[in-house]
Amino acid sequence: MSSLYWLASYPKSGNTWFRAFLQNLLEDGDKPVVIDELSTGSIASARGWLDETLGFDTADLTQDEIDALRPSVYDWQHDATELGYHKIHDAYTTADDGTPIVGVVGTKGALYIVRNPLDVAPSYANHCQCSLDQAIEYMGNTKHCMAQNKRRLTSQVRQQLLTWSEHVRSWLDAPQLNRLVIRYEDMLNHPLATFTAACQFLELPLDQARIKKAIAFSDFKVLSQQEKQHGFKERPPQTQQFFRQGKSGDWRDKLTGEQVARIIQDHGEMMRRLGYLDVNGQPLVTPRPWCELSVDVERRGDGVACVNQ
Amino acid sequence: MYYSAYQLTIASELPLPELVQVNGTQTDVTIRFDNVAENGLADGEQLGPFLWAAPNTLWLQVPNVARFLVRNGNEIIIDPADGIDDDSIRVFLLGSAFGALLFQRGLLVIHGNAVRIGDECLICVGPSGAGKSTLAAAFMQRGFDVLADDVVPVNDAGLALPGFPRIKLWQDAAEQFEIVTDDLRRIRPEMNKFNLPVNGVVQQALPIRWIYILGSDHIDEITFEAINGMAKFMPLQNNTYRAKFLHGMQLKSQHLALCGKLASKIRLSRLTRPKLGFTANAMVDAILKDIEVNP
Repeated sequence: MSSLYWLASYPKSGNTWFRAFLQNLLEDGDKPVVIDELSTGSIASARGWLDETLGFDTADLTQDEIDALRPSVYDWQHDATELGYHKIHDAYTTADDGTPIVGVVGTKGALYIVRNPLDVAPSYANHCQCSLDQAIEYMGNTKHCMAQNKRRLTSQVRQQLLTWSEHVRSWLDAPQLNRLVIRYEDMLNHPLATFTAACQFLELPLDQARIKKAIAFSDFKVLSQQEKQHGFKERPPQTQQFFRQGKSGDWRDKLTGEQVARIIQDHGEMMRRLGYLDVNGQPLVTPRPWCELSVDVERRGDGVACVNQ
Repeated sequence: MYYSAYQLTIASELPLPELVQVNGTQTDVTIRFDNVAENGLADGEQLGPFLWAAPNTLWLQVPNVARFLVRNGNEIIIDPADGIDDDSIRVFLLGSAFGALLFQRGLLVIHGNAVRIGDECLICVGPSGAGKSTLAAAFMQRGFDVLADDVVPVNDAGLALPGFPRIKLWQDAAEQFEIVTDDLRRIRPEMNKFNLPVNGVVQQALPIRWIYILGSDHIDEITFEAINGMAKFMPLQNNTYRAKFLHGMQLKSQHLALCGKLASKIRLSRLTRPKLGFTANAMVDAILKDIEVNP
């Protein structure tokens, strides 16, 4: 029996926020969980998880060799008795023989969290400590990877992100993948409906009071306040703060018209599909409701959440 | 060829240039090429996608490199994949396969690096990427003897057995110490990771006095936190080399007893370094100071 649920997203798209929600929901305590103790499951690219399962060091393998072995590691979970919820930033790539990077028999499904790329760009620039233009270049670069240094050992193995559009498409169109897609903006604007849909998909408790409490305990203000007071170990060392804005539409103050145009040029098709552009191709701060997106109607049965406003 | 490592005389059909050569006398361990069954152990338990174990036997496959059969603490059979180079076989032979063999010989195998301090030694442990080998190289640059890299076997009396004289060092770490890698042997042809020979071969087993668990955090200074009493037990278990091998080989209870014995003899501390703006040399200084205060 498969046991892995992937919490999949391009970086800076709300994955950690969702994990904070999940941990709060599972613990169901009277105060928010400590953000340094988000322990729902290892990230897919954690070297420790791979080494432990394989029985030999991935540090002595090339990045391509590691990619070839990753599916077997996740498939090894096929008879685990407990469900696992694991973050993953890799694109849903496949090996030459068609095996997906996440394997086949170990995977139960994927919750894909997507966020307006106009808002991803400033956040990713901060994460990488690079310029906005550089972040926009990364998001448009099909060769872009995380943890790809070949000259030293990193605690995570290389993750191929592809371009932002390719990343989203790889997960949304992966054949035979049980999946639910939720948008960061719906998590913000329609939290109860969106998180409930996610809980239903992920076989989590559906008690509304409990979900409301977990939403409140993982509110951006709570996460940000905790980080200010006690720090957050997942923060990249050179950045000031991990939980920075937690808003949508921030791009209007952060990006130049040229930068907006470039992102729309690179990713317009996928942005339209996800409701981030209006009928005239202009960017929206509040994305169109899923139900209005004809292209996605067919995907509803396939697991795309239709969160009615 | 005959070699010496971990106080064992090893006869090997595969040349092992990392190890010290000795004259063939009585052999403790034989390493040879032969067929190893493709699908694991018929009477064993599968522990991973490429891993099987039975009492005193471990079967390990590194896909496209080799299959290894390690048994009775005295034999390793290698079945190489077609066209694979010797270096690639060696790196896994001297890692996981040897680790399993040392477990089978009744030793506690710690995942760390051991450095000689006077008549005793310290061990630095921590997850992959914590900087164990870099720190060992820094100690070596300062004239200390490195007892073992990555795999540290510990006997019943709490003594660390000397391994073989090399550290596996990444390109970035080598540059940090201004070590030119041009003439160093790559651990595998396609990797920027090198076999750095260590100066001086330690012959005798040394009592372990200090164990440091390496970690990092968003802090400005290197900090130490002593772990006392019963709390020492879990970190030793957690930093055992490939602890999973023990389950299948039915060596778990023996291992617990060894951890307990070692815990009573050592000073165990958590060493947390800043994530940014530290040097391996500063860590050596900090450790030496800690050792001075806590002999």
